[in-house]
Amino acid sequence: MISKILETLYSKVFINIISAQTSSTVYVEVVSRGEVSTSLSKSFQTKTINAKMLEFVKLYTEESPFHYITILDKSDKQGFLPTCKDISKYTDEEFIKTICVEKKYSLYTKADSLKDIKYDYQSIGVDFIFSPFSILNRFFKDKINNDLAIFLLLEENHISLSIFNKSKLLYAEYLDMKENSFESDMLMDTILDEDDDMSLNLDDVNLDDIDADEGIDSLEDFSNIEDLDSGMDIEEFSEAEEVVESQVDDEPIDNINEDYKRFILIQDAISAFYHDERFDSEFVEKIYIADSINISKDLKKYLEEEMFLNVVVRKISLQEELCDMAKMELK
Amino acid sequence: MKYSYIKPRTKTALTKDIQLLFTFFSVTIGMLFLTYVFLLFKEYRFEENRAEVIQEEKDLRASIKIMKAKITFIEKQNILSERVFTQNSVLKDSIHNLFDLVPGRITLSQAKILEDGLILYGITPNKDVYNFMLQAPLRSIFHRTYSSFYPIENGWYRFVSTNYIDEESKNEY
Repeated sequence: MISKILETLYSKVFINIISAQTSSTVYVEVVSRGEVSTSLSKSFQTKTINAKMLEFVKLYTEESPFHYITILDKSDKQGFLPTCKDISKYTDEEFIKTICVEKKYSLYTKADSLKDIKYDYQSIGVDFIFSPFSILNRFFKDKINNDLAIFLLLEENHISLSIFNKSKLLYAEYLDMKENSFESDMLMDTILDEDDDMSLNLDDVNLDDIDADEGIDSLEDFSNIEDLDSGMDIEEFSEAEEVVESQVDDEPIDNINEDYKRFILIQDAISAFYHDERFDSEFVEKIYIADSINISKDLKKYLEEEMFLNVVVRKISLQEELCDMAKMELK
Repeated sequence: MKYSYIKPRTKTALTKDIQLLFTFFSVTIGMLFLTYVFLLFKEYRFEENRAEVIQEEKDLRASIKIMKAKITFIEKQNILSERVFTQNSVLKDSIHNLFDLVPGRITLSQAKILEDGLILYGITPNKDVYNFMLQAPLRSIFHRTYSSFYPIENGWYRFVSTNYIDEESKNEY
């Protein structure tokens, strides 16, 4: 009773952590009497947590006992299944943690990765761990219910892909760019070699061929520049400004490269969906992209030109969506 | 609506600071309450004592009244006793005087002392002895004196002397 009264007096602090390859973004939202009184975001150069980040988080957690720390799950072995019961049909049940959503879908992740997250953030504690698929579903809820389409959530190194036919989940996959970067290049070559490939027609192959060459070239260019940069760093520290300029120049090339990787991953995933007999195959013409990283127009171009997909890109603030999930979970 | 893989840690508004604050306040309030109860008890006891004292005062006043009444009564009694004593001594003197009045030749057989008079019965050898030796002093004392004689066998007289003092002169006396 006293706790309930005190709860209304205290403000709620939502701390949302999104970790990337080399940095973590902490988004803090302080909700006081139903209204957002403070919201800010800060990045830290750590994959998990460092002293500065700990200090920053503690600053807000000490503000109210009602603080909630939310982490976005980045486990490589996670997914989204169209059933709550026959999970074993799709994945090995033994080492995963599943949750049933809306009595028809299952979200799953590696049990160890949850333990790892808890261990990594033990200094601040963790209250919620959300799957990126939950965020994707929430973000495109209106489209999921009415369309047959592919839904993508683009993160820095990951892509959450799900295919819905009027709210019926057909297929979902969590794609890791780092893990597949080498494989995808290799795969691309094999696709080029294989004439009997089902997912791509000859035109696609030709287009891929051209793009693939470009991609490889750009990769090579990039690596050359990096070599040059590193060489300059060692030899002439005084020319730091030039180094910065050259890095800025690299970004578009890097983006193109990254977008191409993404495209290949998406293409592979869709191909897997069409070939996997466990999933109900439907011909998909539309793709909705929730973009949290400001992708270049190239990915859209690839998807439109090479897969003939109708592409809709919508910007998403991952940290705010994560915060909204935590608020929703509390209700 | 459960989308999180883990359950949130239980949050309580009763942090250590709040708990300390509550403990402090509850102890303070407890002490205040105990003091209040103590004061209430004291007040109750005081009221009780007050009522007792008032009752005692009433009783004492009542007993004083009774005592005063008793004192008055005793004083009255004392006055009365003094009067009675005085009267008795007066009477004693009177009787003594009376017997002193009676000469040796006259024998009294009965004397009745009344509120306002004296009746004497006796024997006298003759009327003159009586008239000169007894009636004369009696007349000087009493306002009205009546005498009657009855002759007896040996020639002597039995007499009855009735003497009265009038009311006014009695008061004066």
